[in-house]
Amino acid sequence: MRHETNGFLSKQLRGDEIPEDRLGVTPMEDAVTRLRNAVINYEMETIADLAKQSLKDGVDPLVAIEKGLAEGIKTVGEKFGRGEIYLPELVMGAEAMKSALAVLEPAVPKGKHRSSAGKVLIGTVQDDIHEIGKNLVATMLASNGFEVIDLGVNVAGADILKKADETKPTIVAMSALMTTTMPRMAEVITPLKKKDKKVKVLVGGAPVTDTYAKEIGADGYSGDASGAVDVAKKLVR
Amino acid sequence: MSFGIKRGVRFQILSESDLDRIHWGTLHILEKTGVQVDSQQCRKLLKDNGCEVDDKTRICKIPSHLVEEALSKKKSSITLAGRNPKYDAKLDLNHSYITANGNGAVAVEFETGKRRPSTKKDVANSSKIIDALQNVHIHWPMVSSTDQHPSVVHLHDFDASLNNTEKHVMYETAVTISDAKDLIEMGYIAAGGEKEYRQRPLSSCLQCTYAPLQHDAGVMDASLELAKCGVPLVFFGMPQPGATGPMTLVGSLVVGNAEVLSALTMTMLSTPGAAVIYGMGNAPLDPRTTIRAGGSPEHAISSAIATELAHYYKMPSCVGVSATAKEPGDQAVLEYYTGCVGPLLAGADLMCGVGLLEDSSCLFYEQIVVDNEIVGAISRLIRGEWADEDTMALDVIEKVGPGKNFLAQRHTVTHMRTELFMPNLIDRRSFDAWSGSGSKTLRDKARDKVKDILANHSVPAMPADVEKKLLGVIEKAKKPMWGGETKRT
Repeated sequence: MRHETNGFLSKQLRGDEIPEDRLGVTPMEDAVTRLRNAVINYEMETIADLAKQSLKDGVDPLVAIEKGLAEGIKTVGEKFGRGEIYLPELVMGAEAMKSALAVLEPAVPKGKHRSSAGKVLIGTVQDDIHEIGKNLVATMLASNGFEVIDLGVNVAGADILKKADETKPTIVAMSALMTTTMPRMAEVITPLKKKDKKVKVLVGGAPVTDTYAKEIGADGYSGDASGAVDVAKKLVR
Repeated sequence: MSFGIKRGVRFQILSESDLDRIHWGTLHILEKTGVQVDSQQCRKLLKDNGCEVDDKTRICKIPSHLVEEALSKKKSSITLAGRNPKYDAKLDLNHSYITANGNGAVAVEFETGKRRPSTKKDVANSSKIIDALQNVHIHWPMVSSTDQHPSVVHLHDFDASLNNTEKHVMYETAVTISDAKDLIEMGYIAAGGEKEYRQRPLSSCLQCTYAPLQHDAGVMDASLELAKCGVPLVFFGMPQPGATGPMTLVGSLVVGNAEVLSALTMTMLSTPGAAVIYGMGNAPLDPRTTIRAGGSPEHAISSAIATELAHYYKMPSCVGVSATAKEPGDQAVLEYYTGCVGPLLAGADLMCGVGLLEDSSCLFYEQIVVDNEIVGAISRLIRGEWADEDTMALDVIEKVGPGKNFLAQRHTVTHMRTELFMPNLIDRRSFDAWSGSGSKTLRDKARDKVKDILANHSVPAMPADVEKKLLGVIEKAKKPMWGGETKRT
C-alpha cells in the first residue's frame, strides 16, 4: 500500500530531507536521519522496524526521539502550516511518529525524559462520544512538540482529575460537542485548579465560545485545531 | 396555495444498480462489521431478536433479514403538523420542505453586531422570523438558550419556539430518557393531550448517530422513548468523508446508511410502524483547515445521493446544508445556494437547514431572510415544466402573430404570477433607480425585512394556561447538573 501511494515520492529526494548518502556521517546520525525521513515520508508500516534496528545498532533512544522523530514531525507540521500537505498526511506523519515512539520510549533510561514543549492531557468529556475534533487537536499538538496523553471520549470528570494527579500535565485539554455536555468541563475545572494552581486548562468544541470558556474558568479556548496549538504555546510560555 | 414546494423535476445521480449495490454493501457491513451500540436496553433488544451481540465491545452484528423487516414496517408518508393546520407539512415524497438550521450556540446581536453566546430571546426572535417567511416551512430552535439553567436549555429552546411560531417544531437530539420525557410532556401539553398529539404531532426530533458506526447510549434510549410516545424521528447520519467516513462520498454514504438503518431497526423492533425520516448530512472535513466543509459541493451532492437512497427505501429524506461563512454576504450566498440546489434538484423532502453560519453555529437574523430568497429561486428551478394546451399557448401565438407582443394578453396575466419567481431582495431596477434609493445591498434589504418582522409580525402565543404548564415542566426538570440515569457500560 505504502509503495503504491508513496513510492514515487520516497524515491525522490525532498527539499526537507537530509541525503542519506552524504559523506562523513556517523552511524548514529545516519539512523537518526532515517527515522526523521521515515516520519516525513509517513512510513507508518515500517518505521517501528527502523526504530528497533536503531536500538540494536546502539543509537541513544533519546537522541533518536528528539533529533529524529521530533524533527521529522516538526517538518511535517510546517508543511501542513504552509498548505503544502493536507490533514490526512499530517495524521499519517503523527501515526508514524507514534509507532516509533512505542519502540523507543520504553528504552529511554529511567530518570531521563525527552524534552517537549509541554505535557497535555486531553479528552472528550463524559456523555459525549465525539472524537474527531479532539483527535485533531491531539495530533496537531503532537506535531508541534507537545507530549500528548489522550484519554479518549466519554471520560468521567473523576477520571480526568485522577489522571491529572498521576501524570502532572502542564495543560488539561477538554472537548465538548454538545450544549448539553459543555457543563461537564466546568465540573472538572474547579476541583482541578483547587488541587494544582499551576495547571492550565484549554477547552474547545463546536458550541464552546470564548465567553463561555472564560465563564467556566478555562485559561484558553480555540475554535479550531491549529488555533489550539497557538493557544497551548502561549499557555506554556 | 399549498404549503411546501411541489416538485416536478428530479435529477438522477445514482442509477438503480448503484443503489442496489449500496444497499447490499450496507447490509454486508451491518452483518459482518456491525455497529457499536452503547445502550444496554438496545443491545438486549437486538440480542433477543437474533443479533450477534458482544456486551464487552458493544458491537452488534445485525442480520439482513432484520433490517429488511424494519424497512417493511417504516412509514412512507409522514405529516409534521403545525400548531396552525395551514402549516402542516405532508412528507409524501413529492413535496420539498425547508427547515431552519439548528442548535448553534452563538448569535450576533442585530443592533450592535456584537458576537456573543445565544439567548432565549434569540430563539424567540428567530422563531418569529421563521414564522413570517414563506419559504421556510419547518422550524428548528436555531440557537440554544444559553442564558438559562444548563440542565434545561433544551426545554427553554422548545418553549420559546412553540410560543413564537405556528409552524411545526423539530428539535435536535434528546440525549437522555429524562430529556426525552420532558420534551414529550411539553409536546402533549402544547397539542392539548396525548391523543391530540398522536393525531397531529406538532413536534419531532432529529437524533444524530455517531460516525463511524456508533450509537450513543443516551441518544438511542431517548429515541426509543420518543418513538414509543408518538414523536416522529429523524435518524441523521453525518460521517465526514475523509475523516469519520471514507474519502469517497459513496463510501461515506454506506457508513451513514449503516448507522441510519441500524437505528431504524432498533426503533421498529421497539415500536413497529413508528414515524422515522431518513436523515444524512455528510460534509467532508476540509483537510487544510480541519473545519467541517458545510457549504461544499460535496455536502450538497452527498445530501442528493442520500435522498436518492431514502427514496429507494420509500422513506422521506431529511438532508443537510450549511455554510462556513463568518458573516452574511457573498460567501454565505454561494454556499447556501450550492448546498440547497443540489439536494433539492434530487428531490430532498426536508432540507435542513437555513439561516446559520460558521457551519450551523452562529445566528445572524438577516441570513434567514437571505436564505428564504435563495430557496424561493430554487423552488422555481424544481417546479418542473410541461407541455399542454395551456402552456403551449398555440391559440395566443396565433392571435398575436408575427411582430407584435404578448403584454396585454389574458394568457400573460393569468400565468405571470405563477410562472415567474418574484424576488424580494434581488434588485432588478436600473442603476439610477437603485442608487437613487440608497444603493442598498442584498444584506441591507434583508436587515430591513428583519426589522419589519420583529416590529410588525405577530404570532398568536400559546394560551396562558398552556404556557404555565410548559414552564411547570421546565421548572420540575431543573437539576443540579446533568442526569446520569443512562448506563454507559
